[in-house]
Amino acid sequence: MTTRAQLSPMLRHEATRIERIARAAGLDPGDVAFEMVDARDVNALAAYGGFPVRYPSWRFGMDFERLDKGRQYGLSRIYELVINTDPAYAWLVRTNSDMEQKLVMAHVLGHADFFRHNVWFQPTDKRMLDRMADHGTRIRRAIDLHGQDAVEAFLDQVLVLDNLLDPFLPLREHMKVRAETAREVATASGASFESVRERALTSTSGRPPTFDVLGFLAERAPLVEWQRELLRIVRAEAYYFLPQRMTKIMNEGWASFWHSRILTGGVLDASEVVEFADCHSGATATSPGQLNPYKLGIEMFRTAERRGLDLFRLRRVHNDASFVDEMVDDDFVARNALFLFGQNGRTGRTEVTDRETKAVKDRLLQDLSWGGLPQIELVDDDREGRGELVLRHHHDGRDLQLSHAAETLKSLARLWGSSVHIETREETNVRWISSDGSEVRTGEHPYERAG
Amino acid sequence: MHRIERDRARFREIVRGRLRADLRKYLSTSELLGRRGEHTVTIPIPQIELPRFHFGDNGKSGVGQGPGEKGQPVEGDPKDGEGAGGAGEEAGQHVLEVDVELEELAQMLGQELELPCIEPRGDKALIADGGRYSGVRDTGPKSLRHFRRTFKNALRRTIAEGVFDPRQPEVIPMPEDERFRWKKRAPKPDSSAVIFHVMDVSGSMGREQKDVVRIKAFWIDTWLRSQYQNLEVVYIVHDAVAKIVDQQSFFSLRESGGTKISSAYELLLQLVRDKYRPEDWNLYPFHYSDGDNWSARDTERCVAILRDELLPRVNQFCYGQVKSAYGSGQFKKDLDTGLEGEEKLVTVSVNDRDGIADAIRSFLGKGR
Repeated sequence: MTTRAQLSPMLRHEATRIERIARAAGLDPGDVAFEMVDARDVNALAAYGGFPVRYPSWRFGMDFERLDKGRQYGLSRIYELVINTDPAYAWLVRTNSDMEQKLVMAHVLGHADFFRHNVWFQPTDKRMLDRMADHGTRIRRAIDLHGQDAVEAFLDQVLVLDNLLDPFLPLREHMKVRAETAREVATASGASFESVRERALTSTSGRPPTFDVLGFLAERAPLVEWQRELLRIVRAEAYYFLPQRMTKIMNEGWASFWHSRILTGGVLDASEVVEFADCHSGATATSPGQLNPYKLGIEMFRTAERRGLDLFRLRRVHNDASFVDEMVDDDFVARNALFLFGQNGRTGRTEVTDRETKAVKDRLLQDLSWGGLPQIELVDDDREGRGELVLRHHHDGRDLQLSHAAETLKSLARLWGSSVHIETREETNVRWISSDGSEVRTGEHPYERAG
Repeated sequence: MHRIERDRARFREIVRGRLRADLRKYLSTSELLGRRGEHTVTIPIPQIELPRFHFGDNGKSGVGQGPGEKGQPVEGDPKDGEGAGGAGEEAGQHVLEVDVELEELAQMLGQELELPCIEPRGDKALIADGGRYSGVRDTGPKSLRHFRRTFKNALRRTIAEGVFDPRQPEVIPMPEDERFRWKKRAPKPDSSAVIFHVMDVSGSMGREQKDVVRIKAFWIDTWLRSQYQNLEVVYIVHDAVAKIVDQQSFFSLRESGGTKISSAYELLLQLVRDKYRPEDWNLYPFHYSDGDNWSARDTERCVAILRDELLPRVNQFCYGQVKSAYGSGQFKKDLDTGLEGEEKLVTVSVNDRDGIADAIRSFLGKGR
């Protein structure tokens, strides 16, 4: 049942109607709590990643500043925001027209259904609002005890590492827990699902090789207690947001598919059709040098429907990469005029380089796999017996941005309290970047400290 | 959503820290010019980014959508690297614009260059004006009793005591309900200043020289504005003749021809005599030139005007000599020898943009 106490009677009526249609079509969005907010407030919410209770940080202030400048200059506008919780909170912006409110309500139901049923979201905590609030309290307490500057500096240091994650870890653990609970229930040991899950999420292997570098650090880095707590918080939030990175195209595609289906299925008033078409085509507009996730997503679902596939199953089992793998073929590439572009070495111009399905698809898969992040693995935590960390970047043709990598490494070395190294490649040449926390060396071999 | 305001305030604090640390850089660029509003300056700063392990742009490639054969250029700007929604939060280099109060910028400048505050001349720095009856307090003469406030308090008390009867609304003010008007004193500082920016626009002053002048003028204005309530700026250009121009032409004009500096000094003197009398104004003439005057005779005349007429009247006379390929730079030497020991004269030479900061410090470092 949706909650809509704040809506006007007209919108409340529409919300009920839209929800009825959505459920009849097979969507199962669970509880959705609609709330009205001002245009400025929605920017603040967006800066906080949708959670009004986040911990204090200047970065949220910076994001807000940018979003709000965009709003003031009329360059960008947010229509709605919905978060993956139970109930799913959905913020509608007061300045939306009636038609836009209907559109975004239908859109939101699509997202809520997706959060609820897509497998990658299964391990996420549906009470994240409470947890975020708890994180906020803890970090504020740390600030009170240790000072704003110390906490802020440490947070910044940890946040640069917040993409050193294993995107498949949460689901893997989740599956394991389910299997274990089933077994334990069968043996009647009395362990609840929750308790097993809690055990699984707090226990990390703590041993390389692992992609879950943050988890390793939370366990093994020489930190004082409040720092370790902050590190755990950053890790928990990073893992919470990760599935949204991995399913952006599907999620937006699914929501757009359904807002379009629901609104054109009788919810629109005749006088609103043109405005709807304008708004919808704006959201799914394409430009040559950039892929629009809304467009790509909705086209994949439409293609699936044309092919008679089970849409609800697709939205349950896939992430962006696997969905692209399943849907993109010659026909899809041709219909959507997908191409590969690159820089012409001679002219410096960016131009179309290929329209072959294989090339396009390979590149898409490459961009989408591993949550769009570089694959970086911790391979050694005691290099040559000196307690130095070694990371390995699994190079797939895309180089790291090396100056940022060097800075990041420096931060990691400070956190670890000893030298750290990363092995990567610049095109085909091996690059070792090493840092002891104050300086950075780059070479073809690991940097040996003198003496 | 007051929470975001705190985060935003913290962010702005950090930005200010950056700005302060990089102020020297801003002192030598023309980036800030033309971004000045009435009270604020919009300062572009590179977005503060946390570094992360992420992909470089590897020669700008990715998947796009639309018509076009192999080899045709791709329109639109793929530089954000958003190949397929991958890059997401690692958007490209954005520039962030931050509004900073002029007052604050002046403060930073003052701290960076260790500028002393300017001590106003004479004893008429503060005159208290009559003030206005805009305050309220709880004692005072009955003649100044604020009826509405008093009645409101009495009504509030009556209701709170529970004795208010709407059918017979009787409200009797007690002494503690009474409020009185009060005159707020508002001392009004009487500090007016006028800056004369005088620039040599003869053929030898090139674009780079003018830029140096521009930047210097911007910072001087900013500083003096923070020191005086009422600041006027007069722009004068001269080659062989001098004239008053508006701000825009001051910076864009390019005359050619000879240089007769005395023409400018005469105009200055005339203004000081007629319009901006030293009794009423703090006077700050700044003269920028490449130091090439028409004749030694004219230079003598300049020295005489300065010594006898201008210097006794102004707070400080600043001469900034901008190095140019054509100028001989003789004028500064002549001033220095001809007017040795004159406290109110400051002469500096600026070789390039990096010298701006030092020049400003010499100009404003005496606190006059």
